[in-house]
Amino acid sequence: MWKETREREFGNIRPNLFSSRISKSRVSSIRLSNYKEIVSSHRGSVNSLQVDLTEGRYLLAGASDATVAVYDIERATDYDGGGLIAKHKSLFVINKQHEHGHKYAISSAIWYPIDTGLFVTGSYDHHINVWDTNTTHVVMNFKMPGKVYRTAMSSIARSHMLIAAGTEDVQVRLCDIASGAFAHTLSGHRDGVMSLEWSTSSEYVLVTGGCDGAIRFWDIRRAGSFCVLDQSRSQIGRRPPLLVRPMTNKKSSSTAQSSSAKVRAPQKKLANGNALKPHAVCRISSQVKTAKQRLHPGMLSSHDRATGHYGVVTGLKVTEDGMYLLSAGSDSRLRLWDVESGCNTLVNFETTRLQSSKAIQMAVSQDSSLAFVPCMTTAKAFDIWSGQTKCTFRGHYENVNCCWYDALNQELYTGGNDRQILVWSPSKSISDEVDEWKKEQAATIDQDNWSD
Amino acid sequence: MSVWNYVVTAHKPTNVTHSCVGNFTGPQELNLIIAKCTRIEIHLLTPQGLQAMLDVPIYGRIATLELFRPHGEPQDLLFVATERYKFCVLHWDAEAAEVITRAMGDVSDRIGRPTDNGQIGIIDPDCRLIGLHLYDGLFKVIPFDNKGQLKEAFNIRLEELQVLDIKFLYGCPRPTIVVLYQDNKDARHVKTYEVTLKDKDFVEGPWSQNNLDNGADLLIPVPPPLCGVLIIGEETIVYCSASAFKAIPIRPSITRAYGRVDADGSRYLLGDHNGLLHLLVITHEREKVTGLKIELLGETSVASSISYLDNAVVFVGSSYGDSQLIKLNLHPDAKGSYVEVLERYVNLGPIVDFCVVDLERQGQGQVVTCSGAYKDGSLRIVRNGIGINEQASVELQGIKGMWSLRSASDDPHDTFLVVSFISETRILAMNLEDELEETEIEGFYSNVQTLFCHDAIYDQLVQVTSTSVRLVSSTSRELRHEWFAPAGYSVNVATASATQVLLATGGGHLVYLEIGDGVLTEVKNAQLEYDISCLDINPIGDNPNYSQLAAVGMWTDISVRIFSLPDLNLITKEHLGGEIIPRSVLLCSFEGISYLLCALGDGHLLNFVLNTSNGELTDRKKVSLGTQPIALRTFSSKNATHVFAASDRPTVIYSSNKKLLYSNVNLKEVSYMCPFNSAAFPDSLAIAKEGELTIGTIDDIQKLHIRSIPLGEHARRICHQEQTRTFAICSLKYNQSSVEDSEMHFIRLLDDQTFEFISTYPLDQFECGCSILSCSFSDDSNVYYCVGTAYVMPEENEPTKGRILVFAVEDGKLQLIAEKETKGAVYSLNAFNGKLLAAINQKIQLYKWMLRDDGSRELQSECGHHGHILALYVQTRGDFIVVGDLMKSISLLIYKHEEGAIEERARDYNANWMSAVEILDDDIYLGAENNFNLFTVRKNSEGATDEERGRLEVVGEYHLGEFVNRFRHGSLVMRLPDSDVGQIPTVIFGTVNGVIGVIASLPHEQYAFLEMLQTNLRKIIKGVGGLSHEQWRSFYNEKKTVDAKNFLDGDLIESFLDLSRNRMEEISKAMNVPVDELMKRVEELTRLH
Repeated sequence: MWKETREREFGNIRPNLFSSRISKSRVSSIRLSNYKEIVSSHRGSVNSLQVDLTEGRYLLAGASDATVAVYDIERATDYDGGGLIAKHKSLFVINKQHEHGHKYAISSAIWYPIDTGLFVTGSYDHHINVWDTNTTHVVMNFKMPGKVYRTAMSSIARSHMLIAAGTEDVQVRLCDIASGAFAHTLSGHRDGVMSLEWSTSSEYVLVTGGCDGAIRFWDIRRAGSFCVLDQSRSQIGRRPPLLVRPMTNKKSSSTAQSSSAKVRAPQKKLANGNALKPHAVCRISSQVKTAKQRLHPGMLSSHDRATGHYGVVTGLKVTEDGMYLLSAGSDSRLRLWDVESGCNTLVNFETTRLQSSKAIQMAVSQDSSLAFVPCMTTAKAFDIWSGQTKCTFRGHYENVNCCWYDALNQELYTGGNDRQILVWSPSKSISDEVDEWKKEQAATIDQDNWSD
Repeated sequence: MSVWNYVVTAHKPTNVTHSCVGNFTGPQELNLIIAKCTRIEIHLLTPQGLQAMLDVPIYGRIATLELFRPHGEPQDLLFVATERYKFCVLHWDAEAAEVITRAMGDVSDRIGRPTDNGQIGIIDPDCRLIGLHLYDGLFKVIPFDNKGQLKEAFNIRLEELQVLDIKFLYGCPRPTIVVLYQDNKDARHVKTYEVTLKDKDFVEGPWSQNNLDNGADLLIPVPPPLCGVLIIGEETIVYCSASAFKAIPIRPSITRAYGRVDADGSRYLLGDHNGLLHLLVITHEREKVTGLKIELLGETSVASSISYLDNAVVFVGSSYGDSQLIKLNLHPDAKGSYVEVLERYVNLGPIVDFCVVDLERQGQGQVVTCSGAYKDGSLRIVRNGIGINEQASVELQGIKGMWSLRSASDDPHDTFLVVSFISETRILAMNLEDELEETEIEGFYSNVQTLFCHDAIYDQLVQVTSTSVRLVSSTSRELRHEWFAPAGYSVNVATASATQVLLATGGGHLVYLEIGDGVLTEVKNAQLEYDISCLDINPIGDNPNYSQLAAVGMWTDISVRIFSLPDLNLITKEHLGGEIIPRSVLLCSFEGISYLLCALGDGHLLNFVLNTSNGELTDRKKVSLGTQPIALRTFSSKNATHVFAASDRPTVIYSSNKKLLYSNVNLKEVSYMCPFNSAAFPDSLAIAKEGELTIGTIDDIQKLHIRSIPLGEHARRICHQEQTRTFAICSLKYNQSSVEDSEMHFIRLLDDQTFEFISTYPLDQFECGCSILSCSFSDDSNVYYCVGTAYVMPEENEPTKGRILVFAVEDGKLQLIAEKETKGAVYSLNAFNGKLLAAINQKIQLYKWMLRDDGSRELQSECGHHGHILALYVQTRGDFIVVGDLMKSISLLIYKHEEGAIEERARDYNANWMSAVEILDDDIYLGAENNFNLFTVRKNSEGATDEERGRLEVVGEYHLGEFVNRFRHGSLVMRLPDSDVGQIPTVIFGTVNGVIGVIASLPHEQYAFLEMLQTNLRKIIKGVGGLSHEQWRSFYNEKKTVDAKNFLDGDLIESFLDLSRNRMEEISKAMNVPVDELMKRVEELTRLH
């Protein structure tokens, strides 16, 4: 940071490079925080964590004991260790005793993306509740056909206020906060839906991962999914090579054209046939629109059966730039998908085992370089491009269920079956001062003892 | 100060970021186009040198600047893309002499992450498409259609994630790009792709090359007939094409800029990070490349752009030093350099730190900046107004007038200086020893007051006294003729030219005389209804010795009249209004436009455009120059005519771009001025001040005056100590000679007048100076320099050790009085309640100044505060401490005396990466952040809840478009207590681009008025390239974009004064405020800087 600060001051590095370099170096050094602790209010496994998207200040946690709590992660409630260790107690807890509280485990708790006045919980008691944060009253309730596994709201949506819900049921439902009714059901999955994510580049695109192993892309303005990811389809050899170098002479350039045309033809076919032309995700150009209309309802059944994982898709995470999708499956695999082409990038993640019974919540660093994945009792940070394990976070005593990466502070929050919420942060060199304080404490205790 | 702030540029950006050469303004005209971050300058290459044609602001930070020529166009078009994803194509309209927008658009995407290595914008050499690399993994294509119009853009996926450079290849049947990229394992490769517009995709290109130099980061496409590309690395240069691969090793260097010399692309100029200029030659035989050769040409400023103009003349644009125009000679000079610097263009950037001082103790602030980097580091003294360099002075009381006279009509120099007093006239002259001594002109009356003197034709001199006009031979110095005022009347005011005398006597008589060879002829006599207060017949026509017009200011009816000569017919009468009589009138002409200036007794100046053929007065404007009567006089400097207005606030009036400009002269009250161009003191002015006559030369006539003190090393922090009249700087010198780049850090003491190093304290190895402060402590009357340092160990990521050094200046030497080790880098030091407050890594630490038993002093830590990521910028006020964090915006701490503890009071919870903070007043704090925005936050002490009180509320937001390194309270202009602007508090800021800006806190009424004016101006003044001002000034970062609030763009508001009268009237109508009122209020604001 020292060097970057100096270089930035005379314009030797661009400010955006400055911030991304510092964020990167900070996130690469995170470990169990020695100055920040969350005092968990939960008596059951923590299933869902999210820091609000507007201020980046309030952590919402949902747990299996049907409690949901909010923690202020910026302002500590009290301090320990001579003022060096900040303790964050919950601002409020809603539990089963609450008149509208959930009866069973809360599987998902998310903030309303526009402000912190509302949050949404989904529970195994088949209900989705929308809460007013200030009064902690339920302002809206949706009855779902089965256990709610996951809820999601689009952080970029400007034209809708939909909660997408994945449940035991095969249909994905979109609950509209504006009207209080189901806006839509999305049919396609052949089993329950354990994970879902809104696209970060288009407010209309939803990605769902089912217990049938399929990962489907939906444009909520249309029926049917427009894309099903196929794990066997990788993008190797995507661009046809130029067979003859066209620069040598005229003759060869004409042959080059014909030959390259030949090569291009199958590419086109491939694109149409596989219904994978992906532009819809990023931008709807006229050309793609027509292609898509042709594709949707009559998608080839062979392709419609494609799977992203063998087994259940337990977790999905779209990178912030909207270019990649990370998926986790009960097959203990992580896959990185190129969203635009729908191809498996074949990055080999060094996972050993992933939890298979429950949905997991993964996180990706802001520059999409690191993925944080709960791996049984640890959380791991993987380099997204190489799949190598960069760091293993050992601290929970039981399985880790969820990760949330706070890009503003470069901090990682993890919640596990051991009911704890742990904070992993860039180290601060305060340890010697803590030691000093401890010594002092010891000294005073000694003194006391002595005087007694 | 207040929440309503007005931001204005006092010194425009000077950091040259881009430059290009082409035929932009005409098919035959060669232009140099320079981008200075947010401005574009267009120059024309003429045999006399570079001639500036246009300097326009761009509502954006320029990311790309390229000239190109679509098929069938007679001249080049300019493609400009901004960092906020806007682009435009500009074209020069020769008839209107202005820039026309051909096309514009937005190229932002929702998808993708902005590139870390900067935006790339390139144009296919055959003008088939524009390529943009703005987001990692995406290549945006804007195709041209057959008519050269731009079509809809589309993205192509680019698998290479870490792209370092992309260029188009020449001579390809289809547009082909070459991509230089870095893979996951940090190896660098190049790859080529063909763009197929039909499929909107890439096709694998003709060749690729793996595993290049690890420092390769620049591609140079080679034009036909050779084609291919040069890959510039840190240790090798490679030529690569489908059929050839040639490499040469070079001395390790980082190439920062290149310029192509020949159209056939066989020679290139390369500028490296040390400012060395190399010539790279591609040797070839029958269009086949046989090898590369590189030759050192010499040293320039560290180049950021190189543009080869013509005839071995090269423009070297620089970000770290002055930009240069250089000539490449065929033969080396004595030092072996082929480089000859023809011209230097001042660049203040990067302003890393600065301080505001008043060295002359005149009540006018000067800014001393740490400018430049590496070897081009310097100190720059920036001051507003024009300086007088005193050459000689004499004590003389009661001067009532001064004129210079020549000893012969054809003598180019002045010899005599006539100084008039209430009852005598003395004549000074240059003697043979070039000294000014008193002499006599026998024909002059010396025992009465002189009203006017002038050289006349036929080697004669004219003296006007209250009783007569005397014509004296300048050679024999004897009286040749005398004209007497009519009995009973005395001459009150008089003026003359070389052939004419115009005088007024009591009773409203106006008498016109003509000068002949030894004879004065009374040509005309007129009787006016009132007494005459002032006269002028300064010749503005073709004949410099004869005026056809006379300007006359009147008592009683307060008017100014224009008479024709010689018949004294009244042509024009202009009532001035008000009750203040005109005290001085002047006819003058600037840049071919004639003006009548009329100065009133209360320090106001009226100016009119004068039509010389019919005497019509138009475009009346009124400005306030001072509070005392003004005496106007013309003088010339550097072959241009200017007007000196002597008063309590002396001002020089000059013209630029056909607009009258007023610059302060850095002198206190001046009663009279006359030009005195003697052989010994060429181009000098004689200035009569209270009790003193000074002869001095005048600086260049410009608004801001900049003096450079080259240091040859990079100054990072500066601080002034009033008591010892010294500056102290933290600087570092790069050692280029050794193989490994090493740096040496120093604390240097400079004299504040001569700017010479008078003492140096070298820091330890690996120790860097990070902060400096001049302060004193409680219970100790001495002043000290405190320096905070950091030990930057090569093996450590972050400094874990630093020092605070306390120096006293004794006998002009830095004496180390105390030192204190710290556990990290000392990023900031502040004087705080007689103690020292330091920001050390993430901690704020307060130190007491303690007297030890042995009488020595030491710093003792008292208390501290944790909770920051890096406390980079700290300001204090009373017991309050405002901290600008690396990435956590602003927080407010308070020092509690009783507990001896520092506690957090409130915080801004936004995630701003700070670059500077300042305290505007008790409740309002100003911050600058990483994305070139400014914002203000307010302490909310009346909040109902702890939560509310603990939050700093964001009250103002603004996109400045500049990276601010430092804020300081102060002002660049003389603060006069009686003027309105004198009451407006201001903060000065300095930026990486060399901008010095002013933030002024306005009263709400004025703010509201100006906001309305700004809204109206936005409608009238359209941004170049169709860019929107409103969007440009909106606060913008990765998370949000919101409209600017509580900040006004002074640059836009002050451009009101450049508008034509019609457009001013349009705005005046829209605002329902008279034009004059608008002008007055805007002109007042221009006084802030």
